Amino acid sequence: MKFFGFLILTILIVVFANPFIPYWAVMLALALLAILLNPGNAIAFWGGGLGMGLSWLGLSLYLSIQTGSPLPEKIASIFGVGSGTILIGITGLLGFLFGSFSSLTGSLFRKITKKRPDNLYRGG
Amino acid sequence: MKYFSFIFVLLITLALGYFASVPIGPAPPMGPLMDPNHGFWQNMYSEDEIAEDEIAIPGLQGTVTVTYDENLIPHIFAQNEEDLYRVQGYVTAQHRLWQMEFQTMAAAGRISEIVGPIALELDRMTRRKGLAYGAELGLAYLKEKDPETLKLVEAYAEGVNAYIDQISSAQLPVEYKILNYRPEKWSGYKSLLLLKYMSDMLVGDRDLEYSNLRKILGEELLNKLFPEFPVDNDPVIEADKVWDFEPIQVTKPDSLNFPNDEWVIDPLPQPEEGTGSNNWAVSGKKTKNGYPILANDPHLSLNLPSLWYSMQLSTPGHSVKGATLPGALGVISGFNENIAWGVTNATKDARDWYKITFKDETRGSYKYGESWRDSEFRIEEIQIKGQESFIDTVVYTHYGPVVYDETFKSERQDINFALKWTVHEGSNEQKTFLMMNKAKNHADYNAALDNYTAPAQNFVFASKSGDIAMRIQGKFAVKWKEQGKFFMDGSDPRMEWKEYIPNAHNPSTLNPERGFVSSANQHPVDPSYPYYVFDNSYEHYRNRRLNKRLREMENITVDDMKALQFDDYYLHAAEALPVMINLLGSYLPNDESAKKYMQELKSWDFYADPNQKGPTLFSSWWSKTYNEIWKEWAEFGVPVVRPSNYQTVKLLKEEPASQIFDWGNSANIETASDHVKKGFELMVEEMKKWEEDEGDYAWANFKRTKIQHLVPQFNSFSVENVYTGGGSGILNATGSRHGASWRMVVELGSDIQAFGIYPGGQSGNPGSKFYANFISKWANGEYLNFNLRKPDDSDASLFITTFVPKP
Repeated sequence: MKFFGFLILTILIVVFANPFIPYWAVMLALALLAILLNPGNAIAFWGGGLGMGLSWLGLSLYLSIQTGSPLPEKIASIFGVGSGTILIGITGLLGFLFGSFSSLTGSLFRKITKKRPDNLYRGG
Repeated sequence: MKYFSFIFVLLITLALGYFASVPIGPAPPMGPLMDPNHGFWQNMYSEDEIAEDEIAIPGLQGTVTVTYDENLIPHIFAQNEEDLYRVQGYVTAQHRLWQMEFQTMAAAGRISEIVGPIALELDRMTRRKGLAYGAELGLAYLKEKDPETLKLVEAYAEGVNAYIDQISSAQLPVEYKILNYRPEKWSGYKSLLLLKYMSDMLVGDRDLEYSNLRKILGEELLNKLFPEFPVDNDPVIEADKVWDFEPIQVTKPDSLNFPNDEWVIDPLPQPEEGTGSNNWAVSGKKTKNGYPILANDPHLSLNLPSLWYSMQLSTPGHSVKGATLPGALGVISGFNENIAWGVTNATKDARDWYKITFKDETRGSYKYGESWRDSEFRIEEIQIKGQESFIDTVVYTHYGPVVYDETFKSERQDINFALKWTVHEGSNEQKTFLMMNKAKNHADYNAALDNYTAPAQNFVFASKSGDIAMRIQGKFAVKWKEQGKFFMDGSDPRMEWKEYIPNAHNPSTLNPERGFVSSANQHPVDPSYPYYVFDNSYEHYRNRRLNKRLREMENITVDDMKALQFDDYYLHAAEALPVMINLLGSYLPNDESAKKYMQELKSWDFYADPNQKGPTLFSSWWSKTYNEIWKEWAEFGVPVVRPSNYQTVKLLKEEPASQIFDWGNSANIETASDHVKKGFELMVEEMKKWEEDEGDYAWANFKRTKIQHLVPQFNSFSVENVYTGGGSGILNATGSRHGASWRMVVELGSDIQAFGIYPGGQSGNPGSKFYANFISKWANGEYLNFNLRKPDDSDASLFITTFVPKP
């Protein structure tokens, strides 16, 4: 459950904030989200990665279908990357890498700054 | 341990973020480019999908309505001219920002800023030719003499800047994203620079090559191979025109010496072969409806985004429509409610070269007559992407800039040349177009042209009141015979241009007896014209075909004129092929293919239609033969021009045994028929290989017309293998990289009927459906409806945008 919650929050941030801020600011935002929510390293990595990756993949796919523009094929040809479909994949992968490492960084940061609570009974 | 993992992952994240934000090698930063919210994915939208209903821009005085028709052609309705040009600037930038900036960067010699050191030599050449210098003088001229035009030019610039100021990173043209730079502010200076760039594109000179040929061939042979007037001269202004003015007298000084060296420097880049244009107007007495019809098709490099951008520009006082140049104000070739006009290039050796004798190595002064004059130094700082700036010093004499010197392209340290060119003089071409847009009659047209300097053009004209006219307008020096044909000695004042031909003496004609006016880059006049006329680039085929057709046609309709623009008759082939077949005699290589080719040539009707094989075979045979005849000239070791196709055919026909065909040192005496035979063998060889490798050799497949993006490396932004006919020297002048860059036909009846098309699309965005959507229509000889629209016509509109003042 926690995983889906984090995933959905990541997607919401990318979908609503990214149109107004560059990708590196999204990375920062995802790191902050992980610091705030402290989802755990695995959930941060996969939730952040899939959240941003799927958002980017989804948007590039959506734009391709909606506009029917030949531009992805043309760009792919200029950069020598097989096809526009591959570019959609690369976009998704890039989003995944940005998202996953940003969230994981936030999560790990939370771990080192979080003070061990000293008012708890730990037994023993 | 947890500190270690944090730092490790942090570093990976930072590295990802960092490397995605910087260019790697020639590749742009990947992050911004691939980000689907800001990167190239956003450029997939076509203009109608992101249309805005209302846009507020600063400086506007009233409300301006822009109606786009189904082809994304904007129709701007403003209350005054300042608003009109402000919105023209904004709208043009919306669709063509990258192109208009890139072209002015090229004109200013600033391409190295965008692409790096690879363009340094090009930029140095551009700067040393002084285009930016000319634009600065043009701006100074406006400031001093024409504040009215300046105000409009600045309104246009502010309009462009209003767009640049609000452009989102998502909507930034994709070329900026790939080349990784941002648009800078537009200015009036840039608009003027664009017009200088047109001069550079259209004007050439062959002084260097002629100087060499004069030395090598001698005067007599030079004049035989390169006569100043051809035998079949069919000039722009009808040959029987009577010149009713008293010309300014100029006499060739006695005992002149042209510098008599052989020059081994490279000549300046010349306008591309095939650059030229047609225009004509027929009077009502020759047309079916009794109204004049005007046609214009400028032939230029076929590029994407297209050089042209179509618009209607309206105020309560006037309504004009046609082709604009992105970056310049008004319509360049078009029509309004009263008149229509069009342009073709009318070059007349507008560039001359003077050898400069400097006093010493500082080059601070140079010899002029008995005295020394001071030179000026202009420092050109060329910024280079990824490198330190390059500083170039260009010496300016009173003639103009010294293009070649010891630091640039000269292997001979003792030689310096100054370039004399009308582009370096303050002038006001922009005003010509502003006035022409509003012209109501022939007198207004003439008044508009009086402001025009360069590049010289044949301005065709027709009016609703029934007039047709042609005027060759530019600023031309009064020259004595052969002045400027060769390099000249700058230390001899007698070599200098003294006066300019008054506008009233420029060749012109109004309602000539023959019922039509026309131009196709041929000689402007008959030899009876009282001023010296010379240029190497005059064309000898399109004009004769055009005038022949116009003479014989009656009851002309708009469709006839469209067909004539698309006329594929290959006059050069019609004149040359029978001569070549005759010279070949009974010789035919014993080869099935050779027989087939000959059969196809013999049954060909001389039309260069896309499906024909004849034009392929002829053009191959001709170019091989031509090369065989003149190839020894390459051994001169210096730059020269070769005789024209026209002159070569004439020699083949009239003097096949002439010594002219026996250049070089071969033991046998060569005649015309030897070259023709050799050419035939080479053609057979080439065509057999072509059939093996490529298959079909129909004309369109062979010539491979390509509309190329301004950055040739972006090949997928180009459109290749366009299936269309025509070629260089044919009225439909569409070769492989050049051709009709704009076609327009206008009938000036009570309701003006207008048609236009160009090989491109209104959008400069390769992701838009309006980027190249005209090309297939253009290739088929079809046209778009270009009738004027009224402010309240809202049918068949794509969308409407209202511009309002921004408080």
